[in-house]
Amino acid sequence: MEISKYLKISFLKEKLSEPVHIAPLVVFRIIFGAVMLGAVIRFLLKGWVYELYIKPEFYFSYYGFEWVKPMGAAGMYIVFALMALSFLLIIFGYYYRLAAVTAFLTFTYVELIDKSNYLNHYYFVSVVCFLLIFLPAHKYFSLDAVRKPAIGTTEVPRYTISAIKLQLAIVYIFAGIAKLNYDWLYRAMPLKIWLPANAHLPLIGGFLDYEWVAYFFSWFGAVYDLFIVFFLMNSRTRPVAYAFVILFHLMTKWLFPIGMFPYVMIFCTLIFFSEPFHKKVIEKLKGFNPGVLKLFAKVDQPAGHNLFLNKRKSHVVMWMLGIFFFLQILLPWRFLLYPGNLFWTEQGYRFSWRVMLMEKAGTAFFYVKDPKKGFEAEVMNDQFLTKNQEKMMATQPDMILQYAHLLKEKYEAQGIKNPQVRVESYVTLNGSGSRMFLDSSVDLTKERESLLPKAWILPFEEKKSK
Amino acid sequence: MLAFLSCKKEKDKEPEPESDFDRKAMLENIGNMIIIPGYENLNNKVVQLDSAVVVFNASPDLSNLSALQNAFKGAYMAWQKVSVFEFGPAEQALLRTNTNTFPTDTAQIITNVNSGSYNLSLVSNIDAKGFPAIDYLLFGIGSDNVAILNKYVADAGAAERKTYLHDVVNEIKLNVNNVYNGWKASGGNYISTFVSAMGTDVGSSIGYLVNQLNYDFESLKNYKIGIPLGKKTLGTPLPEKTEAHYSGISVQLASAHLKAIEGIYLGRKYDETDGAGLDEYLVYLKSQYNSGLLSDAIKNQLSTAATKLDAVPDPLSETILNNAAVVDAAYMELQKQVVLFKTDMPSALGVLITYQDNDGD
Repeated sequence: MEISKYLKISFLKEKLSEPVHIAPLVVFRIIFGAVMLGAVIRFLLKGWVYELYIKPEFYFSYYGFEWVKPMGAAGMYIVFALMALSFLLIIFGYYYRLAAVTAFLTFTYVELIDKSNYLNHYYFVSVVCFLLIFLPAHKYFSLDAVRKPAIGTTEVPRYTISAIKLQLAIVYIFAGIAKLNYDWLYRAMPLKIWLPANAHLPLIGGFLDYEWVAYFFSWFGAVYDLFIVFFLMNSRTRPVAYAFVILFHLMTKWLFPIGMFPYVMIFCTLIFFSEPFHKKVIEKLKGFNPGVLKLFAKVDQPAGHNLFLNKRKSHVVMWMLGIFFFLQILLPWRFLLYPGNLFWTEQGYRFSWRVMLMEKAGTAFFYVKDPKKGFEAEVMNDQFLTKNQEKMMATQPDMILQYAHLLKEKYEAQGIKNPQVRVESYVTLNGSGSRMFLDSSVDLTKERESLLPKAWILPFEEKKSK
Repeated sequence: MLAFLSCKKEKDKEPEPESDFDRKAMLENIGNMIIIPGYENLNNKVVQLDSAVVVFNASPDLSNLSALQNAFKGAYMAWQKVSVFEFGPAEQALLRTNTNTFPTDTAQIITNVNSGSYNLSLVSNIDAKGFPAIDYLLFGIGSDNVAILNKYVADAGAAERKTYLHDVVNEIKLNVNNVYNGWKASGGNYISTFVSAMGTDVGSSIGYLVNQLNYDFESLKNYKIGIPLGKKTLGTPLPEKTEAHYSGISVQLASAHLKAIEGIYLGRKYDETDGAGLDEYLVYLKSQYNSGLLSDAIKNQLSTAATKLDAVPDPLSETILNNAAVVDAAYMELQKQVVLFKTDMPSALGVLITYQDNDGD
């Protein structure tokens, strides 16, 4: 059968190594760099560097990354300055590899400091920065190609562009799969809660109070996430699909406080457009041509196909990316290894493209007991945590455990030997009404963080409403 | 599968909203019928307090002292009704911090009185002013009214003390007047901002209201009851940390505070009639709690908490020591209420309690 050849790795390898024009990769480099530069500046202007990385006294580190600590005010601002500079350099393709490495390291470092600030789109940015390190996006229409003409090329192996497309496909499709759950599809939760909160908006506001609208948005969102990539890949459906991309993301931007994410996606999905489209973009940019961009005109000349000189290196990168994506595809399924309702326990929840999926809120009262005297003190969480940290902690068992250990330290420092810490926590999930979240009799100082299931999470029993 | 789905859908089917809930009308009710009358009342009470100080300072005698003390209690009670609204004009004036930071720092007050030179707007004087400072100056500087009066008549620092008292009252008066004017349509007209800032995000009026209601309710629970009771100190009671420690009206104030919060939730107008409040909004959203309505759960819990709190006799600082159980019972009910306010209500309303980007996870 003819089809069998498609299944052969050698065929796939050949196909992915085919030379294609570099334009899409170059445009992606410029756009991603620009959006991220904007995002970093926005972050600085909003004062979030101080709010999130300087002001807090305590940071919720990631399991295995406890050694990642903030570096104080001066250090953090330097990191952010470096980050902004890296994205600027990426735009112009100037010392691109170094810039990509720095962008990846600074951004990922910042994200690893405190899981209270975890956002899927930050994870996405880290992952793309990592990819960029290995993609030759600077070999054309860049200052590097001016600096070192020998690296210039107009052709790259196909996989360098496919990698970005695959990355976007992973984001969308997993976001879509995550929506295939009972609450999302058959209760229109959490949109049934979130949409009426926007009923004041012009034009559509009046509709948002209706239940069918929440159902429509839920199903539309799921279908969109699952299939948009396929429609973007097909040249005939692409224009309409991209119109949907814009509409969908602007809509989410309008309805929810999701910051830069919509723009990141609107611009990144341009990668699916054709070679001629990206060539045109580059021509436009050349025509634009002010100041420093004039340099780009010089790199117009197609240089040698040096990628084929380096076939072996190219294959190594290809295999490495293959493993990288394989891991990314596995990671979202790890929740299957844990018992209970994923949204409730959040064991295996992060790094899985579960975006805008649930309305969850909680309150956690912590009690510290002096075992010698038997007295118990209730903790005022705002003494140790910021408002945002307290909010994020209250619904996530791993953070509750980290905080309990912080309390142990704090009370030990006050002279209480072996204090016991327990938590009385109440959480509501998708309008379930608050209920006891964790076993309030457990002394959390005796529990250790690990990847094993946490036995002290109480089961989420769906109480059927009459 | 299909059969299961259709059957499920049938069961879950709920009626479409018959008419849109008028969120603006709710904000108008809360703004025009609760907040502005609340500030107006406080403004009047503070003006009366100021006049009473003037009268007392001019002719300090027992009857004027007692009138002044009553004026103080009236103003302090009026404050409880607006304590929640620390946004807009009140936030600008830092009204809550400036007006009701307790326990008051008596040493700082004595230093200020003795030196005669102080700047009440300095951060260092935050706990040497406001109602708690007046509470001390009118009730705490002598064992009875005769002894207190003496401090304003025969004491070496009598004149300075009078001046200090008047300065403290005057600062409250100015701040309250600013905030009141800031809200009024004929003044700063914040009321129009308030009723038009729709939505539930951080800068919206519902966002402000729910966040501040929570903050203030937790303050009530923690600072007015929990800390004095020893909840945060491994059971060691701290009776001197009660609100209105010297006049001994702590429970009365806390009850008024709780009633004010209940009123905001229910949309109870200043004339005590019911209007559109957060409860109607929750009913409209059909928010559930324990297979009943969340709006009812909150209402019932508020009323339970109020009953338990009213059962605590004043002065709280003594009850804490000789009948802690009754205070503890009130505290537990307030605690339950925190969960409903902090978790269920914002979650049902879709209110954000952070300013940051969020992807909902």
